[in-house]
Parts: sequence; structure tokens; C-alpha cells
Amino acid sequence: MTIGDRSSSLPTLRRSFFKQAAAFSATLGAAASAWLAETDPQSASVGMRGALAADGSAPLKMAFIQWQPHTVPAAWSKGIEEVLKDQPQTQYKLLDGQNKVEVQVSLMDALINEGTSVIFLQPIDSVALAPSINKAKRAGISVITLNIDATAQHAAHVEMSHYYGAMEIARVMGEKMGGKGEVAILNAPPGIIIRDQRTNGFVDGLKKHHPNVKVVADQVADWSRKKAQDVLATILNAKPGLSGVYGVNDSMALGAVDVAKEKGLLGKLVIFGNDGEKDALESIETGELTGTQYTDVFQQGRFAASAATVLASGQVPATAFKKQAHLLMPFVIATRENVKQIQPSQRW
Amino acid sequence: MNGSALVEARAVSKVYGLSTVLHPTDFVVVASEVRGLVGSNGAGKSTLLKILTGAIAPTSGQVLVDGEIAPPAKPLQMLRRGLACIYQHSNLVAEMSVLDNIFIGRQPTHLGLVQRKLLRQRAQALLARHGMDFDLDATVSTLSTVRQKEVEILKALALDARVLLMDEPTGWLSVSDVTRLHATIDGLRSRGVGIVYISHVLDEVFDICDAVTVMRDGRVVADQPIAQLDRARLIELMVGKTLATQAFDQAHDGVRRAPPTGVPRLRCRALTKRGEFHDVSLEVHAGEILCVTGLVGSKRTELVQTIFGASRFDSGTIELEGVPLEFHSPRAAIANGIGFVTEDRHRDGLMLDLSIAENLVAATLSRYRRGLLLAGARIRATARRLIAALNIQPPNLAKPVRLLSGGNQQKVLLGKWLDMQPRLLILDEPTVGVDIGAKAEIYALLRAARDNGMAVLVVSSDLEEVMTIADRIAVMVAGRLVRTREACETKIVDLVRDMGAVPA
Amino acid sequence: MIRRRGNSALPIFFLLTFALFCAVVPRFASASNLEALMAGYAFIAIAAMGESFAILLRGIDLSVGAVMALAGMVAFDASLILHLPGYLTIALALVLATFAGALNGVLIVFLRLQPFIATLATLAAYRGIVFTISGRQLVPELSTAALTDPWITGLDAYFDIGATLGVESISLPAVPLSFLLMIVLLVLFEVLLRSTRFGRDLYATGGNPEAARLAGIDLRRTVLIGYGLSGFCAGVAALLLVARLTTSTEALGNGMELTAIAAAVIGGVRLNGGAGSMWGPVIGTFLLGVVLMGLTLFGISQFVQQILTGAILLAAIAHSRWLQARSLFRHSAPEAS
Repeated sequence: MTIGDRSSSLPTLRRSFFKQAAAFSATLGAAASAWLAETDPQSASVGMRGALAADGSAPLKMAFIQWQPHTVPAAWSKGIEEVLKDQPQTQYKLLDGQNKVEVQVSLMDALINEGTSVIFLQPIDSVALAPSINKAKRAGISVITLNIDATAQHAAHVEMSHYYGAMEIARVMGEKMGGKGEVAILNAPPGIIIRDQRTNGFVDGLKKHHPNVKVVADQVADWSRKKAQDVLATILNAKPGLSGVYGVNDSMALGAVDVAKEKGLLGKLVIFGNDGEKDALESIETGELTGTQYTDVFQQGRFAASAATVLASGQVPATAFKKQAHLLMPFVIATRENVKQIQPSQRW
Repeated sequence: MNGSALVEARAVSKVYGLSTVLHPTDFVVVASEVRGLVGSNGAGKSTLLKILTGAIAPTSGQVLVDGEIAPPAKPLQMLRRGLACIYQHSNLVAEMSVLDNIFIGRQPTHLGLVQRKLLRQRAQALLARHGMDFDLDATVSTLSTVRQKEVEILKALALDARVLLMDEPTGWLSVSDVTRLHATIDGLRSRGVGIVYISHVLDEVFDICDAVTVMRDGRVVADQPIAQLDRARLIELMVGKTLATQAFDQAHDGVRRAPPTGVPRLRCRALTKRGEFHDVSLEVHAGEILCVTGLVGSKRTELVQTIFGASRFDSGTIELEGVPLEFHSPRAAIANGIGFVTEDRHRDGLMLDLSIAENLVAATLSRYRRGLLLAGARIRATARRLIAALNIQPPNLAKPVRLLSGGNQQKVLLGKWLDMQPRLLILDEPTVGVDIGAKAEIYALLRAARDNGMAVLVVSSDLEEVMTIADRIAVMVAGRLVRTREACETKIVDLVRDMGAVPA
Repeated sequence: MIRRRGNSALPIFFLLTFALFCAVVPRFASASNLEALMAGYAFIAIAAMGESFAILLRGIDLSVGAVMALAGMVAFDASLILHLPGYLTIALALVLATFAGALNGVLIVFLRLQPFIATLATLAAYRGIVFTISGRQLVPELSTAALTDPWITGLDAYFDIGATLGVESISLPAVPLSFLLMIVLLVLFEVLLRSTRFGRDLYATGGNPEAARLAGIDLRRTVLIGYGLSGFCAGVAALLLVARLTTSTEALGNGMELTAIAAAVIGGVRLNGGAGSMWGPVIGTFLLGVVLMGLTLFGISQFVQQILTGAILLAAIAHSRWLQARSLFRHSAPEAS
């Protein structure tokens, strides 16, 4: 079951946090009751770790295992901390996966042993972390994944709306290109679900909205700005008639911008990124990058933390969910026209 | 069978690049005979030995064992055919036990596992047979050098070889150890083993050998039963007749030079470094060449390295023109006007891949500094001047030193230090691997430097060289300075006697 | 037999550290934590043992992680694309890993490359091959597929020794198969090193290659087998890890070579060859494991943990140097001519 807005070009990003949280919690609560109605009475009685917090005896432990230090997980962590600091009984810590799957697995083990109630996880690999998630579930721990889903069912998954966002990008991009032309995709290394989601969403979006815009190149640029420069330069040699570039993340899109600037093609190339980083937004403001999908990553962290508090309060045992919650973050396709509305405090 | 040829080398030679280290040579090892192999440094003895044992391959020629040609450069093959060798350098695995080292590579196995008990039994039998005593489980690195040498001997004996080759086996042994070793050799000889004994210590050669082969400059010059020779004749053969007689009366053409006066440029008093040298006192005056000679292992290199500041000493003093100094680094020594031409020009003298010019100015770079850069034109001018003065061939500034002949390389090294105009110049084995022509040029350069007031300290194992250039000669034995003489009062025979003396 | 005076400090230090953490850190001595420790570090210890073969030979193996990735990906492809039965997959991965390791030996022996350079080259080459053969890219649907073959998943089994021994009063940790496998390999390798001629030859080759050569030891064969063993161990470690993750990634084992080297050095294996045992890397690995897991449970930040790991490594090297200096006799060895 999916909750959340599918798309929004609304200029109302200034909705206050509390309104959103309230709205979100209400919907989650409602959905939870609906789910509970489906649950097996026996599993509902399985003890929920963390139920202690309700009577305030032992502190609730929560931890976030990130992929590796980066602006995105740092912003998530900040958002999570904001919510959790209002909960005096909760201890929270940030752990680093050091870009190694086995480290994340080891950390999961350590947290399970420690009696953690909720684990936020940005899995380096969707399959490799599945056994650990199952182990956590058996121990009664709720696992909430951020941005990258895992193949084992868990409590909740909060993502940047990869698929639908990419679809929207395709739509807006096609408009900017005048409905026709050739597009190159600067892509991530294969093997992560998010790559497929962002690519398929884009391709499907083009098919649906702008069938005359053709994808003529799809090359791996390793999420990196530098690599993207090299890759795009090569593509331009082969396809001089290129009129659009879609970087599956902002770093790669900014690399494309660098190349366009160097070759004097800024006016001719429509370049879109994905993520909504601070640098990307500034680039849009100066008229270099054409647009990106912006998600308030702090907000994403806050949402995750809210879900965690609900789960940990003991009212809704993690094992009670038959299906995993799947939350898509609201997003905005930021372009020159609306980028100013994104406040500095929301930039990451 | 007495007198039968066990190992024979036929016309074996060895050429390294441009230099011929061993000219085509024949050599036979006979059963029940101890054959001495003597000659000065660089005569080719070690090379011949290594070809016989398969450690290196000959450039031409063959080695036959029992009349059959043996494959070259296969140590295992020679070991299997019964050739054991005690090399000059340490051939033990430091971190393994004595027992393991003795049977290295040849442990008896059963079903793939080493038969420990059998190994130990054999070792103990070996110790008993030769009257030695050892803790078989001791790690070799914890033993003294003497004991380590004994392990090497045991290793060779354990092979039950038919031919035993020894390269300077007694360098570290005391008198009683040497006696014991000779007794062992006697025993082996009576059992039909053929033995080759390389040694500088002529006393030993006369004691134990039945016959002697003399080598000089890569050739065999004599091959006779020991009874037909006496010491003087042997030395003559080693050093070369004409040169030997020259040496007896050539130094300063017999003219006694004026004794040096004033404060010595360098004076060492009771210099001691534990484990290396002990109570060494010497002086070098301005305008004088002092040669320090001795056998391999007498620690002369360690002494001069300490003077130069490359290593520290434990007690004693060093004075430079009366001022007590202690250099803790070569940089400090250079700053005080001391230059050092090292023993191994390849390893720590020249920068082989750099050009002649770059090497020539390496010690005096500060002279060419102009702000943050180096004055290229001045460097080139200096290089050209030195190349001409030293007759370096080919006279090409940019040629990498690696491509020069040994003699020219040594001249570049010498040029580097001479240009520094040091107050004291130390040279360690300055003409190793250098042809006759370059040797003469280098001697001339040293004499010229001396005449210009430089103090020169030369470490040399080449007696011929010592007699040619020295004003004074000092002899070191096992880390002690035993004698210092005026060169014009010295004969080679005196030096040889001093060097074979047992330290007090 | 090599005197093990030096190594006695390490097991004592390990036990002390372990006891310290048990006492101070909550839940450290619990059954589940010990299981996590064994499961998380046994495969690393196996890789460290393999690396030790290379270091004992006075060389180094930088390609351990890359060989792991290669073996893991081959297992993945064999099982999920070719649908080979589990026992065949395991055999294939191990054989390949051994050859991959032996290739290092070939480069060192026949092309005369320095071990650092040779294994650096194979590191790059193997990582590249892994990307080319990656099943998750050849067949994108497989990137979310888990390995289910019972032979492979069976490698991640746990043995309830408490039940077997009938111990009810305290909860004993369930021992992972990987840990038992590690013990088996430890024993086998120790016997190999101490009691076979190959083992003696290995020590000699690493301790003094020239002496070994002159004693007739076949240096080439020794080096080839040594690096082959290193590859084999990497293969075993890979299979154990893949079983734990139920998948293989292109980045599997990234950085494993450095961990293995650190564990070996902490375990007393000398970097200039010829000294060390198989106990060393195993204890070294678990020492690192105890420290890192203990610190995580204690709440120490991971950056501090990395600093501490470095400090332990430095301390181990200093200790080893001190022992070496102390045991050398006063007299120096005869001069080499």
C-alpha cells in the first residue's frame, strides 16, 4: 500500500513541519488500524521490544546505519535527530557502513544484541542485508529503510519517489525541449534498485508524455561529477545533435553542466539532475542546470523518525504488519521558475 | 680412490657486462686432497667457487662431476652429486632453528610429514662425531657470529659430501676453533673427501693444504704442491713478480719523506664501537695518504663510516684539526669538509640513472643555487672541467652513469668528492672493479690531491695498491688497529704477517 | 621449530582485552554477541591466514579482496544463471580462486615482478573481470534475487552446541559453521607449516631466499603454491561471506586485503618474511573483532575505532621489533663480500 503525494508542482513548500507530521501520522494511524484488522491475532500478541518506553523505564535505542558519509544521509540523520530530541526517552546514534556490506551486517548484529528498538538503514545492497533484516524482525526490531529498499519485508521504506519523480522529470524536460530531440542518460553503476527506478521512470515518462524525444545514449558515470564530464564529452563527439542530458544524480548532472559550459553549449543543452542538492539548486538559480527533482531530505528523515516513534511506542508491533509500508516523499521538479521557493533551511 | 678427479672445471669463464671476472680456467678437485685457492681481492676465486657449486652459471665452459657434465647453475644438482660448500656470506635462515638449518631442503619425510625424531638423531650423531656441542632448538639469530659459522660448517658436514668447498671459513674463528676445524678437515681428507680451501691467511694455507692454486686477475698463475713453495714465493705469485719486487722498494722510491708536522687533520683516540671495533687510535695529517688495510671482516669500513658520521660510536674521541667533533650525520661531516668515497659505488655512491653532470655536482649543489633554482650553465661548466681533468670517457655530460665502465664510474664518484675540496677525503676500496688504466689515473689524482694539502685516508685490501700510494700504513685485525708504519719502511711480507696475527 | 617466545604476548593480550570488554561493556558476554563475533570474523580470519602465506614468503598479496569478489561472483553466476548444483558451484569457485592466487605466483616467479606490483595488477584486473561477469548486470532481474541453493546457504549454518552438550544452565552461543571451518583450516595449515617439508621450505624461502636457493629448494614451486593457498583461502572466505549475505556484490571484499594484512602483522607475522605462524593472524583478527564490536556496543564512535585499530597495529609492530632487537646476539653477522 502506498501513501503520499504522487507529484506536486505546488508552490506550497512552506507547509509547516507540524502540519505535515500531523497529517502523516494521522494517515499512518488510520492505515495502521486498517492493517491491524487484517492481522493474525496471534502475531499481534508477540511482545514488542521498546514497549517499555511507554512506562518510561528503559530508554529506547534507535540507530541509523548509513552507506557512507555523504550529504544525503547526513541530512537524514539531522532530520531524525530533530524529531527524536523531543523524545527524552530515546537514544539515537549514527553508524557508518564504510561502504562495505559486511560492515553493515556486523553493525546490524551489534545493534540487535544491544537491544535496539528501531534501526534506520540505508542498505548498500538490497539482497545482502535481507538476512540481517530478517534477523532483526525475529528479535522484534522495526527496520526502516531509507531510499534503498531491501528484498526482505520490513516495517517501512521511505524513499525519494524515485520512479514517479523520474517520470515527472521526463515530462518537464520534454516540455523544455519542445517535445522533440535526443537525450543522453548519465547513469549509476548497475546493481542498485534505485538506478532502475530512476531510469525506468524517466523512460516511461518520455514514452507517455513526449514520444518524440529519443534516448540515444545511456552510459555509466559512477555517480561522479568527474566521470560524468569524461563520459558526456565522449557522447557529444558521437552525437553532436544531442539536445538533452539526464543525470541520474545531481553530481553527474553538474558534470554535464561543466562540459556544456566548456563547449559553450549551455543554451542548447537541457540538463536535468535528480536529488535536489544545494549545489544543484544554486546551479539552477544561475541558469546553468535546467532542473532537478528536489526532495526535502531533512523532511525525509523526520518522516522516518515519526514512523519510528509510532512503531516504538508499542502500539503497533512491527511483526503485526503483513505488508511493508512504502512511503514516497513529496517532491518538486525545481526549475528556474520555482527554485527560489526552496528555503535555505531546506537546502542540503 | 686416492687421487681421482672428483670435480673438474673445464675452461670455465665468467663475464659480467664489459668486465671479465674469470678468464677460461681449468680446475680439478681431487679425492683425499686439500687444495688451497689463494689470490688477492678480485682474483676470481669466489667466482670459480660459485661456478663449481652451481650458484652461478659460467659464461663458457663446463663442470664435470665424476666425468659427467653437470647442468650449470643448478645448486640442487651439485648438492645431490655430493658437493657441499661453506660460502663467505651467511647462508643461514636467521629465524629458523639450528636443527632446521642443518637439514634445510633435505629433511627426511614419511607420508609427507617431516620425521622429527630421525632428524634430531642424525644431528646428534653428527655433533658427536665432530666433537661439537649445540642447542639444536636455538634460533640462529640468537647465536654469536662464531657459532653461526659453526652451524654452517655442520650444515656442510651433514651432507656427507665427497667434495667440500670453503670460502674464507676462519674469518671469525679463534685459534682453538681453527685448530678444531683443521682437525675436522684432516678427518675428512682421510675419508677420501676432496677439499678446496680459500683463505687469505697464508699460515693456514701452509698448515692444512696439500697443494695450492694461485689466481691473479681472473687467471690461474700457479698450481703446485705446497711443499714446493715458501711464503715469499707464494706472495710473489699472488701479487705478481715484478710488482712484488717493485713493491719492496718502490714506495717513495725508497726516499724517506719529511715527517709531517703540526696538528693532524684527523685524530682518533681510543675509538670504540661495541661489536665492531675497539680502541682504535690513528692520525692523518694534511698532505699525507694513510692506508688502512686488513682482511675482510676487520671492520675497516665500519670504522671509516663512523668517522664520517654515518653511524655512531660508543666511546673515544674524534678530532678535526684539534677540535673534538662528533658527526651524527653525513651532512654534518660534509659541512665540516669531510668527503667519503664509498665501497659500493652502485649501492651508495652514484645515482646510476642520473647523468654524469648530475652526479658530479651532487655533493656541492649548494654552490649552484640561485634563489630557488639551480644555475644550469654553471653546473655544466663545472662538469665539463671535471670530465676533462679526470679523463672520463665518454665525455658526454648527459650520459647516465649506469652506462659507463667501472673505472669511469669510479672517476665520476671521485670527481664529485674532489670538487668539494674536502679537508679530509676518505676512500673505501677505491679501485675495486677498475681496470689498470683507470687505476693508474686514480692513483695520480690521489697523489695530486695529497700534494695540494688534502689529508687522505684510504681503506684497501689490495696490498699492491697500498704499497703503491701509501705514505703510512695501518693494519687492522678483527676490529683492532695492530700496527702503523711508515710505508718506506714496510715490505709486503710485513703486512701479510701483521694481518694474519691473532688479536690479543 | 621456531621458538614462539614472541607470540606468547599476543594470546595473553587477547584474553585480557576480551575479559576487559566482558566486564565493562553491557551484553558483550552474551551468547548472541559471541555468535555475532564468530560469524562476523571467522571468514576474515581465513583470509588473514591466506595472506600470511604470502607474507611469510617475504611478499604480499594485495589481491585478496579482488579474488574474493571473483569467487563470490562466480558462485553467484553458477548458481543463479547456470543453475549448477551447489556442490559444483562451491568446487568451481574454490578452484578458480586458487588459480587466481597462483597467477600472482606466476607473475612473481616468471615475470620477476615484485609481489606488491604483481598483486596490485591482479587486484585491478580481477575487479574489472568481476564487473564484466557480474550476474547482476548481465541479468538485471537477478540483482534482487537471493541465493537459495542449500549447499550454499548451508555454509551459514549454526550449531547449537548447548543442546548437543546438554548444557541448560547458561545459554551457550551457537557456533557458526564458518568458525568451525576456520579451526579446521588453522590446524591443517599449522601442520603444513611445521611438519611438512613444504612448510620448512616456505620459511626458508621467505627467511633467506638465497640460502634456500643454494640449498636446492625449488623457489618457484614454493612461491606458486604459497600464493595459490592465499587464493584458496580468499575463495573460502568469499563463499562464507556470500552465504551470510545470500548474494554477491561487485564490491565484495573491498579493502579486505588491508584488514588481512593488519591481522597478520598484529599476529606476529613479520613483513620481511620467514617468521610467524597461523595462530597469529587468527588471534589478530579476533582481537580486532573484539575491540571493534566491543567499542561499537560501548558507543564509541567509529572514527575513534579506526584510530584505535591503527594504534594496535603500531603497538604490535613495535613489540615485534623490540623482540627482534632483544634476541639478536651482541656480535654482528659476518660481512657479506
